[in-house]
Amino acid sequence: MSAATPNPNVTPSQPFGIDPRGPRFGASITAVLLLIVVLLGLTEPLGADLVARALQPSALLLTVIVALFAWGAFAGIEKHPYGAIYRRLIAPRLAPPTEREHPAPPTFAQLVGLLVTATGLVLHLAGVPGALVVAASAAFIAAFLNAVFAYCLGCQLYVLLVRLGVLRRSNPAA
Amino acid sequence: MFRIFLSMDALTALIVIVALVALATVLGLTLRARGTRVASGCGGDEHQLSVEGAEVTLVQLSSPVCSACVAMRRVGSELAAADPTVAHREIDVLDEPDVARRHSVYSTPTTLVLDRDGHVRSRLIGAVKPADVRAAVDAARTREAVAA
Repeated sequence: MSAATPNPNVTPSQPFGIDPRGPRFGASITAVLLLIVVLLGLTEPLGADLVARALQPSALLLTVIVALFAWGAFAGIEKHPYGAIYRRLIAPRLAPPTEREHPAPPTFAQLVGLLVTATGLVLHLAGVPGALVVAASAAFIAAFLNAVFAYCLGCQLYVLLVRLGVLRRSNPAA
Repeated sequence: MFRIFLSMDALTALIVIVALVALATVLGLTLRARGTRVASGCGGDEHQLSVEGAEVTLVQLSSPVCSACVAMRRVGSELAAADPTVAHREIDVLDEPDVARRHSVYSTPTTLVLDRDGHVRSRLIGAVKPADVRAAVDAARTREAVAA
């Protein structure tokens, strides 16, 4: 987990951080896609075997979403394709950002999204009924809260992980 | 049983979708309503965290993955820069997990307001408005009301 929580004092690749509206724009797209996954998942019967389950439309769309979360979590939010769309098409039409954000919080949110959606996808492929719909619904709520309410998931989860002892200092002197 | 849950007709599925959006909206409004607040009369001592010579020390517990912490850092450091009797320091909750446990800190940023004796006089949860931070600081300057 420590790889997901980089030191904020380390200079980010962009010196002044990112436009916080970029990740919220991406979360809006993700929320809409996840809602489509839930809709498809509710109306489709569960595939009979692994191949059928992998190829049903809801699973295909969720696979794309999982891949996009992995991109954001491992390459960093600044390299996410939604960020490129935002910078090319949206940001030039908006006023310059009044504040800039460190890329670590939205990158952490991508990792959380990846864990939730990948778990749902794996359980779905294993044939667990409802796993895809439940995971997509949970991820939808997180993406919706991010997009609409600018809800800071990392502000809540980090303390819980520390208090549960999941996150620990590897070097106490650090 | 899961045949009912899954492969439902399109209308029922749409109703579930609308309910999901409504649930997320209610959740968002609830979280926003209790997102920032000031908890007073907290008690407890954190001498080791108070800055010597300062009348009031703001100890901000932060995490590296928290965007609201940056906003709170700005408020705290500006207050400390404008008023030499106020000190602001920020620590990673990972460095002080026991402090988080002692003061029931469940989210970052949470800022402990310490008086000159190192007593915790209030807790600021979230990125609190500058005026509310000032009010909490001024309250911590006054002698603690001691019963008997």
